[in-house]
Amino acid sequence: MRHYFPVLLCFAACLLPGVSAAADLRPPAQVTAGTDFSIASDANGEATFYLVGPTNVSKRKVTLNGSIPVDGDEIEGAGRYTAILCVSGNCNSASFFVQPDAPSRVSLLVHPSRVRVNAPNAISAAAFVFDKYRNMILTPQNVQFSATSREGNPTTTTRSAENGVAWIRLTSASKEGPAKIGATIAKATEVRIVQQVASEACNLRIKANWISRQLWVETDPIRDCSGNAVPDGTVISFTKVDDSGKTTVDAPVKRGIARVQMPVQGTAHISVASGVVTGNEIQMAGER
Amino acid sequence: MSGFGRRTLWVVAVLMIMGYQIHAQHGGPSLPSVQLNADDLGPRSIEDLTRKSVPRDYAFAWQTMARALAENRVDLLNGYFTGLAKEKLTQRIEAQRKAGIHVIYSDRGHKLTGLFYSPAGDAMQLRDNAQLEIQILDGNTLLQKEQVGLQYMVLMTPGADRWLVRDLQTTQKH
Repeated sequence: MRHYFPVLLCFAACLLPGVSAAADLRPPAQVTAGTDFSIASDANGEATFYLVGPTNVSKRKVTLNGSIPVDGDEIEGAGRYTAILCVSGNCNSASFFVQPDAPSRVSLLVHPSRVRVNAPNAISAAAFVFDKYRNMILTPQNVQFSATSREGNPTTTTRSAENGVAWIRLTSASKEGPAKIGATIAKATEVRIVQQVASEACNLRIKANWISRQLWVETDPIRDCSGNAVPDGTVISFTKVDDSGKTTVDAPVKRGIARVQMPVQGTAHISVASGVVTGNEIQMAGER
Repeated sequence: MSGFGRRTLWVVAVLMIMGYQIHAQHGGPSLPSVQLNADDLGPRSIEDLTRKSVPRDYAFAWQTMARALAENRVDLLNGYFTGLAKEKLTQRIEAQRKAGIHVIYSDRGHKLTGLFYSPAGDAMQLRDNAQLEIQILDGNTLLQKEQVGLQYMVLMTPGADRWLVRDLQTTQKH
């Protein structure tokens, strides 16, 4: 009889109300992030309930009466959750998935931050779609991209997000200045600024003047082929060939023009270039 | 023992100690195996170096995450996590610590499929099919243990010298 006593004790314990060994858990097949719901359970009485999820972990004592209520703020993170119910040291578990809520945020990556005008497909934008709890929404959603530059009307294009990502390539405008690149989903809009700058110099022209017995060579105002002034700091190369040989002097653009002083021996041929773009050539006689 | 033999023994001992220290710095769990399939990755084509560094850094990310969740240590996330992934894991670890729970991941490997590589090369989205053993403990009491195949949607972005996990979300397999 002594050998059977623990078995009988265990059997009797299992029959006691609220000490059910098989605390079955039946969560809903799908739950939306941030919404209240219940997990059904046949067990009764006192138990410890655990919920382990991607952003939240909780443990609490519960009195079982058919279901365990779970607050929406316990399941704001989308993903897989494990619910565990422990009754008198016996634990049972069930897992379920929490789906993202409706789209309400967009995250936007735009590159580059500075681009030359008239550059085909030089700007890229990638938008990532999230719900209000910052869960990425993987079901297809339409994202509206917009581009607004100084010269005119905004252009819009809609792309379907695949696995939460939509992307687009854009050609920069012909006029320099900031371009606003935006992505919109539901009521959320995210905007980035891309600075459009002048392209390569175009129609480079130089002239030379004697000032106080010094020869000064300077460019006309330097613009690209669309008429945008090239940014200050752009390097302009002046090359002189005279009796003393060949000399090249680099000068940065300041207030739209580049200017250098060059000593001349005999007759000099002076030319100008910026990158691969060459300008006119002038001929000057030596010091007068 | 000759002088040369003693010196050799010393060198071996020092190397073993250094090896142990390097292992200890990277954490207890071993580095999981990660395979990357980038056949359908686009619109940017993947560079050779990126093809190697993404699975390597993702493996380190899982190794450090497993240790962080097992030891409830937020500081371990600094190396390979950023943005939303780091915020969400930090939130989870703090909740684990508060509840007295810790979770042990035994990693059986990951199969990554490249889905999106942004034109500028500043973001990569991947799907991970992971094989894991997960143990949930309250203090030292084992509450649950399961072998499970899980699917993750991963967003990685390049950092100064490595790829970082920016978002990590479990998704339902269909």
